[in-house]
Amino acid sequence: MNDTQENQAAAAQTAREKRPIDILRERHGGMSPEMKDYYKEQTRIRKLLGEALGKGTKTVPELARECGLEPQVTMWNLMAMRRYGKVVEEELRGDYYAYRLKEVK
Amino acid sequence: MDEFKKRYDGLVIGGGIAGMQAALDLAEQDYEVLLIEKDPSIGGVMVGLNKVFPTLDCSSCICTPRMAESVHHKNIKIQAYSEVTSIRPNDPGFKVTVRKKARYVIEDKCIGCSQCELACPVDVPHEFDHGLGARRAIYIPHGNAIPQVATLDVDHCTFCGRCAKVCPTQCVDYTQEPEDVEVDVGAVIIASGLLITPMDAKAEYGGGKLINVLNPLGMEAIQSSSGPYGRPLRPSDGKVPRKIAYVQCAGSRDHSIGVPYCSRVCCMYALKQALLLRHYIHGIDITIYHMDIRAFGKGYEQFYRRVMKEGVKVVKGKVAKITEVENQDLMLRVEMLDEGGRVDERRYDLVVLSQGLVPAWDGKGVVDIELGDDGFFKSVSPKISPVLTTQDGIFIAGVAAGPKDIPDAIVEAGAAAMEAAVHLERIGFRERALAASRG
Repeated sequence: MNDTQENQAAAAQTAREKRPIDILRERHGGMSPEMKDYYKEQTRIRKLLGEALGKGTKTVPELARECGLEPQVTMWNLMAMRRYGKVVEEELRGDYYAYRLKEVK
Repeated sequence: MDEFKKRYDGLVIGGGIAGMQAALDLAEQDYEVLLIEKDPSIGGVMVGLNKVFPTLDCSSCICTPRMAESVHHKNIKIQAYSEVTSIRPNDPGFKVTVRKKARYVIEDKCIGCSQCELACPVDVPHEFDHGLGARRAIYIPHGNAIPQVATLDVDHCTFCGRCAKVCPTQCVDYTQEPEDVEVDVGAVIIASGLLITPMDAKAEYGGGKLINVLNPLGMEAIQSSSGPYGRPLRPSDGKVPRKIAYVQCAGSRDHSIGVPYCSRVCCMYALKQALLLRHYIHGIDITIYHMDIRAFGKGYEQFYRRVMKEGVKVVKGKVAKITEVENQDLMLRVEMLDEGGRVDERRYDLVVLSQGLVPAWDGKGVVDIELGDDGFFKSVSPKISPVLTTQDGIFIAGVAAGPKDIPDAIVEAGAAAMEAAVHLERIGFRERALAASRG
């Protein structure tokens, strides 16, 4: 076998070998249908919240109304965004804190 | 101690405060101890509390030194994210099978940088925050976790592979599988800890259904400044709560839910949480509805009197039903026992059910020791030697033996360690095990 043929054979072998993440996916049966729906919905909610907060600081009830979401769903997702540094707390308005997007430096 | 040996003098099941204390007390006597914990980190329930009663010490501030001492002790091998699946008598001592669950992370290479967690695209409810907060599919449970290594929850993984791509030490290993390991041990201490009574045990209270009916550990989480919200807020809409009710004996002293006993800590944790809320939120109205307040320990009665003096209302009343009204507020229907049984309806922003304690593990199919009528491991000499079980060489400590507070759990762990040490000397475990391995 010449060099080019050897390289081609090695590339073919690499393509046939499964990546570790593929092995795990196969072993686990991939994402469950429930998980797929959950992830899709979460992505949709985060986009809505990001767009609404991009227009200004808002409380949880304000965000829920603007995004057409249940307040408790808004609260959980907003707090998750806060935990991972996407959102920060601002001032207290009556009985509700307002939140804004954290600037990315 | 990094390697997993074939023989240990003592096995401790449970890495909470009682388990760590028992392991340390044995290790200080120069016994080699294997400590098994089912969760990704040691620390148990205590590391997740906000403050402890009656001293109001920061709970993790007094728990984490024990955690650090345990992991750094030369005689203690900690194996977290693992479970004991079998304990069989094997003269001398026991043959134990431990199942190491797959973290999909090589522990020795993980530096706890959280880059994997930040890269993960999906958030799921976090067990450490009792579902009120979020974590990623690959996560480090909390800032005080020991070991401070990531764990991949494959049930919530999107299989995107980002965690492995960003890991600076290439320690994400998708090919890991659970592994069973057999060890010989001389004595076993079961310190498997507690769960709280299920929130839906009493349907009329709305626990597990109504979002603003909280479990007490969830209230601990939201009171903490490092908790899911950063401050006490209502889970339904982020409102600052102005009026909160505590329902005592919600998950104890009730034959109808299978928990006929008093759980010993609920009155005190309710008083503690109520006092802290009065400190955190100016002018907040808090009422504790009780059948009777049990403040039996050292400094507890004084603490109870202080809480009432600082404006928490402690009312003898039996809550019959909790319903949700507009704005997801809660209406309590309560029988006022000090007012001739008059029935009243009162509205609150939040309600905390003071749930009781139930055993986290019953050992069935793993270890052959009896349970008591209350579901906890049976103590054969409850007055004289409360840590002894129906199997020689197996001891119990902490809430595994029955509801108790942190000081009592620590003291009992010391007693279990001492009994285990006496047992090891009596059976000559080390000498006989060495002779058996040579033979």
